[in-house]
Amino acid sequence: MSLASDLLERFRALWHRRRDEEELAEELRFHVDQEAAQHVSAGVEEDEARRLSQVALGGVEQVKEAVRDARGTRLLEESLGDMQYALRNLARNPGFAAVVILTLALGIGGTTAVFSAVDAVLLAPLPYEEPGQLVRLYGASVNDLSFRGFSSPVQFGAYREQLPSLESVAAILTYNTKGADVGAGEDVRRIRVLPTSANYLAVLRARPEIGRGFQPEDENGSGIEDNVDAAPVVLLSHGFWQDQLHGDPGAVGRTLVMNGVAYTVTGVMPDGFRDPVAGAVDAWVPLDLSQARDPSEAGNHYLTVVGRLRRDASLARAQAELDGLSLRLAEQYPSIKEERARLYPLKEDIVGSSSRALEIMLGAVGLVLLLVCVNIANLMLVRGSERSREFALRTALGAGRTRIVRQLLVESLTLAMAGAMAGLLVARLAMAAIVVLGSGTIPRLASLSLNPWLLLFALAVAIGCAVVFGLTPAIRAARTQPGDALRDQSRSSTGGRRSLRVREWLVAWQVALAVILLVGAGLLLASFARIQRVALGVKADHVLTFELNLPSARYDSTARAQFYEQIATALAALPGVRAAGGISKLPATGAYHQWGVAAISGPLAGDAQRGQIGAQNRTVSGEYFQAAGIPVLAGRTFTQGDDARAPDRVVVSKSLAERLYPGTNAVGQKLHTGGRDSEIIGVVGDVAVDNEGRSDTYVYHAHRQFAGDRNWALMQVVATTGSATALEPAVRRALAEADPQLVMFHPVPLDEAIGQGAAQRVFTMRILLTFAAVALALSALGLFGVLSYSVKLRTREFGIRMALGAERADIGRMVLRRGLAVAAAGIAIGVCTALPLTRLMTSVLFEVSPLDPRVLLGAIAFMGLVAAVAAYLPARRATGIDPIASMRVE
Amino acid sequence: MAESDGELLQGTLEMLVLRTLAHEPMHGWGIAHRIESMSGRVFLVSQGSLYPALVRMKRRGLLASEWRTTENNRRARYYGLTAAGRNQLQVERSGWLRASTAINAILNAHWALGET
Repeated sequence: MSLASDLLERFRALWHRRRDEEELAEELRFHVDQEAAQHVSAGVEEDEARRLSQVALGGVEQVKEAVRDARGTRLLEESLGDMQYALRNLARNPGFAAVVILTLALGIGGTTAVFSAVDAVLLAPLPYEEPGQLVRLYGASVNDLSFRGFSSPVQFGAYREQLPSLESVAAILTYNTKGADVGAGEDVRRIRVLPTSANYLAVLRARPEIGRGFQPEDENGSGIEDNVDAAPVVLLSHGFWQDQLHGDPGAVGRTLVMNGVAYTVTGVMPDGFRDPVAGAVDAWVPLDLSQARDPSEAGNHYLTVVGRLRRDASLARAQAELDGLSLRLAEQYPSIKEERARLYPLKEDIVGSSSRALEIMLGAVGLVLLLVCVNIANLMLVRGSERSREFALRTALGAGRTRIVRQLLVESLTLAMAGAMAGLLVARLAMAAIVVLGSGTIPRLASLSLNPWLLLFALAVAIGCAVVFGLTPAIRAARTQPGDALRDQSRSSTGGRRSLRVREWLVAWQVALAVILLVGAGLLLASFARIQRVALGVKADHVLTFELNLPSARYDSTARAQFYEQIATALAALPGVRAAGGISKLPATGAYHQWGVAAISGPLAGDAQRGQIGAQNRTVSGEYFQAAGIPVLAGRTFTQGDDARAPDRVVVSKSLAERLYPGTNAVGQKLHTGGRDSEIIGVVGDVAVDNEGRSDTYVYHAHRQFAGDRNWALMQVVATTGSATALEPAVRRALAEADPQLVMFHPVPLDEAIGQGAAQRVFTMRILLTFAAVALALSALGLFGVLSYSVKLRTREFGIRMALGAERADIGRMVLRRGLAVAAAGIAIGVCTALPLTRLMTSVLFEVSPLDPRVLLGAIAFMGLVAAVAAYLPARRATGIDPIASMRVE
Repeated sequence: MAESDGELLQGTLEMLVLRTLAHEPMHGWGIAHRIESMSGRVFLVSQGSLYPALVRMKRRGLLASEWRTTENNRRARYYGLTAAGRNQLQVERSGWLRASTAINAILNAHWALGET
C-alpha cells in the first residue's frame, strides 16, 4: 500500500461514485438474501428469516454511511455536493444571483479600472531620474502671482545663470505645436518637432540611445529653418528613428530633410523617452537663443522653463532667489517691470489640473464600492433570513451546524467567484472606455494598464464582503434553537422585524450614498451646461480647421503671403463653403502672442498707465473673420490692397477699441505693437481666449503685411453649410491641386478644437454620471428588495388586518410610508454628507456654486422619485394580498 | 448484535479476513459466515464493520474484487487476496504469534496469578 495508490483509489472512487453506490446496494442486498436463505434452511419462516437478517445487518443506511466513510472521499464529495446544491439553489433564484453578480462586477470592475487610472496618472512618478527635484518655472505678474505664463529669452538667460539653487535650467518651445514636413513628393508627412535649449537632456538626466544631445553652440539659431547657412542638427525619438530610418544604427550623421532643410542627425533618444510637458514628439531641434541678450526681446514670452533643483536646496530657497532675480530684471528691463516668476514641483504641475478630477473619481469609486458592499450585505442578509427556516429545519433533521455553515460558505464563494469573473470583464471594458474617453485630455493615460495589486484588493473586498454577510445569517441560525426559528417564522405574524430594522438602515445609507453621487454628478452637469452656453464670440459649428505649413525652403515670405490668400480663395470657391481664411491661433483655444500694445494717437496716446495694455496678437489671411463668424462692428477688414507695400494696418477687437480709445472712433487711430506702428482700419466683435469664455483684447495683423515676421504656418478655417468633416476630401483635393507636397495637418472641426479643454470636465462628468446611475439603481434595488421582503414577512399580518376591516389602500399606504421614511432618512443623511464634500469639487466646477440649490433640489427630487417607484411596487403587492389565502400560507 | 464480547478489533478483523481469503476468493457474506463458524461463533462479524473494512483493505491494495455468479446463480462481489495482501497476512500472522506467545507467557506466569 502506497500513498499514491491510496490517493488514486480515492479519486477513482470519487469518479465512480454512482456505480460504487449501486454496487454497494447490490452487495448488501445479496448479503441480506443470503442471510435469510440461511435462516430458512434452518427452518425459520420466510418472513421471519428476512426480518432476522435485516436486524443482523443493523440498518442498511448506516452500513452504507460507514462504507462511504471508509472510501475516504467524504469531504470532497460533500463539497461537490454543496457546490451542486449551491448552483441549484442559485439557479432557482436567478434574480438574486444576477443582482449579486452584477453588483460585485460593478464594484470590482469599476473600482479597479479607476484605481488603475489614478495610479497611472497621479501616483506614478515622472519617468526621469530623481523626478522629485524637477521644477517648472512660470512667469507671473505682481498683480497675479498665481498666473502661469511663459518666459522670455532674456528672462530664461538670467534664470539659467543666476539661480544657484537650481543645478540646471532648460527652455522648451511648447508655445505652439511646431510641426515639420519630412520627406518629399507624395511621401511627405508632418511630424512634431520640439525645440529645446542645449541643456534639456541634462535637466531631465536623460541620455540618447545612440549619438549625443545638443551642444551650447547649437543654440545660435542654426535649428531655425530660415537660417539655412548653418548646419542644423536634430535629435530623433526612438519611434521616428524606427519608422523613418528603419532603426539604422548608423543614423548619427545622416541627413534628414525637414521643411526642405537638411538636418544632421546627432542622436536617437531611447524608447519611451517623452517630454514632460509636451509629451510624445518625433524629434528635437536646438532652440534659437541668440535673442537671449537682446533687451528688446525681454517682454516677448514664449518659453516653457523647467529646472532641476540641487539636492541640498529647498524649493523655498530657490523661490527666494528667483524673487530677487525678478526684481533685478524688472529694474534692468522696463518692459517687464511688473513681472515675477514662480516655481512649482514639475509633477504637481503636470498632474495638477487632472488630479482633482481623478481624486473626485477616486472618491466616487470609493462610494460605489461602499454602496456595493452595503447592497451585497443587504441581499445576503435578506436571503439568509428567508432561509432561516430552511436552516432550522435542517438542523432539526440532524444536519451538523458546521455542515450548514460550510454549505453557505460554498454558496457565498460560488457567488463571489462568479461576481469576480464578471468584475474582471467589467474592469477590462471600463479600462478601454477610460482610455478612449480620456485620451488627449488626461496626461499619460495611454500608458494605462490594470494594476494587479489593485485588482486583488477589489477582489478581496468584494469577496470578503460576500462571504462575511453570507455567513452571518448561518452563524445566527446556528446559534438559535431550531424550534424557535421555526416557530418565529410560522406563528408570529410580524416576525423578523428587528433584522428588518437593520436592513432599513442599510438601505437608508445606500440612498445617502446615491444622493452624494447624484449631487456631484449634478454639479458637473450644471457646469457643463454653463460652459456650453458661454458666448465665445465665434460661430464654431460647421467649420473645418487644419494647419497648413509652407516650408521656408520652397516658400519665401512673399510666396507665403501670396499662397495663403490663393488657397483661401480656392477653398472659398468649393461647393458649400461659405468663407475660408487663416489665423495664427484658433479662437478660444488659449492665450498666444500676448504683446504690449500702446496707443500712439487718440486721448490716451503717451499715457504710460492707461495707454498701454497687453493684447492677444493674431495674424490672419483670407476671409478669416467671415469664416469664424466674427462680426465687423466698424470700418472694414483686410483686402487685397493691404499688402507689404501698403502702410501697416490692423483690425482690433471691440474691447481694445474701448480701452485704448475711449469716447472716440477707433477706426483711423494708430497703435504700436509687434515692433510696428499701425493704423486701425476696423473693429470686430470680441472673442474669448479660452472655452470658458475669458475675454481679452485682440489686435489682428494682415498676413500679407506680416509674412516677413516669421513663417506663420497658419491654421486654416473653412466655414461650410454642411458637415465640417464631410468637407475634408474636397479641401484635400483643392490643396493637392495647389501644391501636391503640402500636408493637411490635423484636420478637426472648430467646435471640437475649442472643446478640447472642456474634455476633462466631460470625462469626469461622464464617469460620475455613470457612477451616480449605478448608485441610483443599487439603492432603488435595495429599497425595493427590503420593502418587498417586509411585505412578504407581514403577509399574514396584513391579511389579519384586512380581515379585521383595514382598507386595502391603508395597507398600501402603510408600506409606501415606510419606504418613503427610509428614503427620506437616507436623503437627509446624503445631503448633510454631500454639502462639505462638494466644496472639494470647486476647482472642476464652472460658474456653479458647490452648494447650488437647484442641483441639490434636483438630486433630492430625483432620488425621491426613484425611491417612490421602488416603494410603490411592493406597496401595490401588499394591497393585493388575499386575507384568506394569506392565513393559509403557512 | 455481537457488540459486546464478540466485537473484533479493527486490525484483528482485517487479519481474519486476510486469513479467510487465503484459500479462495469469497463474497462478503461468505467471509462473515466463515469467520463466525471457524471461531465457533465466538466472533460475530457485524456488517457495519465488515464492509467498511473490505473497502479500506481494497483501497490499500490488499484485496481485489470482482463480480461473479454464485452456485445458486446470483451476482455477488468476490474478494480475493492480492500479492500485497498475501505479504500482509504473513506479516500479521507472525506479529500475532509473537504477541500472543508473549501474552500467554505473561498470563501463565505464576506470580501473575496473585499467589504468594
